[in-house]
Amino acid sequence: MSNNPNTHALPGAGSTPRTRIEVWRYVSIGVVLLGCIPMIVPLLWMAVTSLKPGATAFDLPPTWIPKELHFENYSALFQSDVPIGAFLWNSIIISGVVTVVQLITSSMAGYAFAHLSFRGGKSLFLLMLTSLMMPLQVTIIPMYLIMSWLNLVDTHWAIILPLSTSAFGVFLLRQFFMTLPRELLEAARIDGANQWVTFFRIALPLARPMLATLGIITFTNTWNNYFLPLVFLNSWEKMTLPLGIFSLSNVYGSGNVAAIMAGVALAILPVLIVFLVAQRQIIAGLTSGAVKG
Amino acid sequence: MKKLNKESLYGLLFISPTLLGFLVFFLGPIFAVLFLSLTRYDMFSAPESAGFANYAKLFTDSQLHKVYRNTFFFGAAAITLNVSLGLFLAILVNQRLPAFLRYLLRTVYFFPVLVGMIYAATVWKFLFNRDLGVINYYLHYIGIGPISWLTSSQFALWSIIFVYVWKNVGFTMLTTLAGLQSIPQDIYEAAAIDGARPFAMLRKITIPLLSPVILFNVVITLINTMQEFDSIVALTNGGPGNASRTVSLYIYEKAFRGLDMGYASAIAVTLFFVIALLTALQFSLSRRWVHYT
Repeated sequence: MSNNPNTHALPGAGSTPRTRIEVWRYVSIGVVLLGCIPMIVPLLWMAVTSLKPGATAFDLPPTWIPKELHFENYSALFQSDVPIGAFLWNSIIISGVVTVVQLITSSMAGYAFAHLSFRGGKSLFLLMLTSLMMPLQVTIIPMYLIMSWLNLVDTHWAIILPLSTSAFGVFLLRQFFMTLPRELLEAARIDGANQWVTFFRIALPLARPMLATLGIITFTNTWNNYFLPLVFLNSWEKMTLPLGIFSLSNVYGSGNVAAIMAGVALAILPVLIVFLVAQRQIIAGLTSGAVKG
Repeated sequence: MKKLNKESLYGLLFISPTLLGFLVFFLGPIFAVLFLSLTRYDMFSAPESAGFANYAKLFTDSQLHKVYRNTFFFGAAAITLNVSLGLFLAILVNQRLPAFLRYLLRTVYFFPVLVGMIYAATVWKFLFNRDLGVINYYLHYIGIGPISWLTSSQFALWSIIFVYVWKNVGFTMLTTLAGLQSIPQDIYEAAAIDGARPFAMLRKITIPLLSPVILFNVVITLINTMQEFDSIVALTNGGPGNASRTVSLYIYEKAFRGLDMGYASAIAVTLFFVIALLTALQFSLSRRWVHYT
C-alpha cells in the first residue's frame, strides 16, 4: 500500500478548514471500525464455540468468553467416526503437490510468454486467459469422463492433474518476468548459456518472492477446494479436509456444534498463520490483476 | 521471417505442460460438452445419440428457468453490493492511518477472502439458524421476530448473497483502494482551485479514474458468482424447493446425482454461452464508461 492517501477525494476536503477534515477522519474511521464487527464476529463465534463443551455449545444466550477451555473437542476430532486425521493428511499431500507442480509449469510458461518469442505467442496467452472466465461446472462433466476413462476416479491424481497448470499462475509469473531487463538475459546468452540455463540459473532465482506468493495462493486455494474432491473422491480414506468437515457437520448436525467448529478452526488455522505472516505479499499477488486494469 | 528457430522451440517446450493442461482440461472439454449435449448418457451404458432432445427439454424445464433466474439475481445483487461496498470502504480507508490500524483493517476485511467458502458457510449456517442462531437471538431484542434465513423462499437466496459479499468485500475494497491511491493528488488540487465541490469531485474525477478497477471487480465477481457452489450446498442445498438453486448446483445434480449427463451437458453449454455473452457485453459496454489513462 503506497503512502499516497487522497485526502482530496473525500467529501469535506478541498477548500475546507482543518476541523472539518478532522471530523471526517474520525467519522470514517469509526464507520470502518464498526464494519469490522460483522467481519470478525462469525470467526470469533467459531473459535469460542469450538472450546465449549459439546452438549451446551449451541445454547442461548451465547457466551462470548468461554468459562472453561475444552480443548478435547479438537483431540476428539481425531478419534471420531469421521477420519479427520486422514483428511488432514490428504489435504496436505494434495495441496503440497499441486503447489510445487503449478509453480514449475507456471514459471516455465510465464517465462516463455515474457521472453521467448514464438509464433502465436501473444494470442495463445490471451486464449489461455479465457479459461479463467468459464465456471468449472461447464467443463466438469468431460473432465469426469476423462478421469473415469483413465481409471483415476477416486484417486488423488484426479484432483492434482487438473490443478497442475494454471492460467492465473502463468499470468502472475509472466507479469513478473516482464520486469526483468532483456539485457540481463541476453548477457547470459552471450556468455554461452542456453535458454534453459538462462531460465533456471538467472531468471528463476530472481523470481523467488513471486514464487512464494503464488505458492501461498495456490496452496490456500487447493487447501480450500471443495468441488473437485466432491466430484472425484468417493472413499473416506481419500477425502480431503473440506469434504471431511462438511460431512462432519452432516453427521453431528446441531448435536455437537463444538466439534464441527473445532474442525473448521483446524482447517482455517494454517491459512490464518500464513496470512498473518505474509499478508502484504498475498494481497499484492491476488489483487495484481486489478491495478493494471 | 520464419520464427522456427531455437528460441521458439524452447518457447514451445516451456509452455507445453501448461498448454497440455489447457487443451485437456479446458479446450477439449468445451468441445466435448457440445458433443455430449447431443447424447443420452448415464455412465453405465454407452452414450446414445439424442439429437436435439436435450435442447428441447431446456425450454420445458421450469426448474431450469427458476434456477437461471436465481443465478442472475444472485450475480446482479452480489456484484452491486460487493463493488459498491468495496468502493465505499476504500474511500473511507484512504487516508493516513497508523500502521497498526492499517494492518488490523487489512487483516479483518481480507482474511475472509482466504477462508474456504465451505467453512465460512458452515459457520454462517449456525449463525442463521432460526431458533438457536445468534443473529435471530439479537434481532429479538430489537423486536424483530425470528427470521427463517435459510428455510424461507423469501430469504434463502439473500442469505447466500450476504455470505458471498461478507467473504469477498475485502477483495474489492483492497483493489479499489489500490486504484484510489494511484490517482495523483494534483488533479484534485486543480479541481479545488476551479471551485469544484467534493461530491462533484467524486463523481467527475474519482469514479471515472477508478473505472478500470471497478470493471475488474465487476468481471471477477461475475465469474465467481456464476460458479459459486460451496456456500449453496452448505447453507441451503438449493432449498427450500428451488428458492436458492443456481445453475452450477443444477448442472452438478443433473450430472452426478441424476446421471443425466446428456441433459446436464446441454445446460453446461447454455452456461458457456451465457458467460461468453455477458463477458462480451461487459467489454463492449466498458468502452463507453471506462477511462484508461
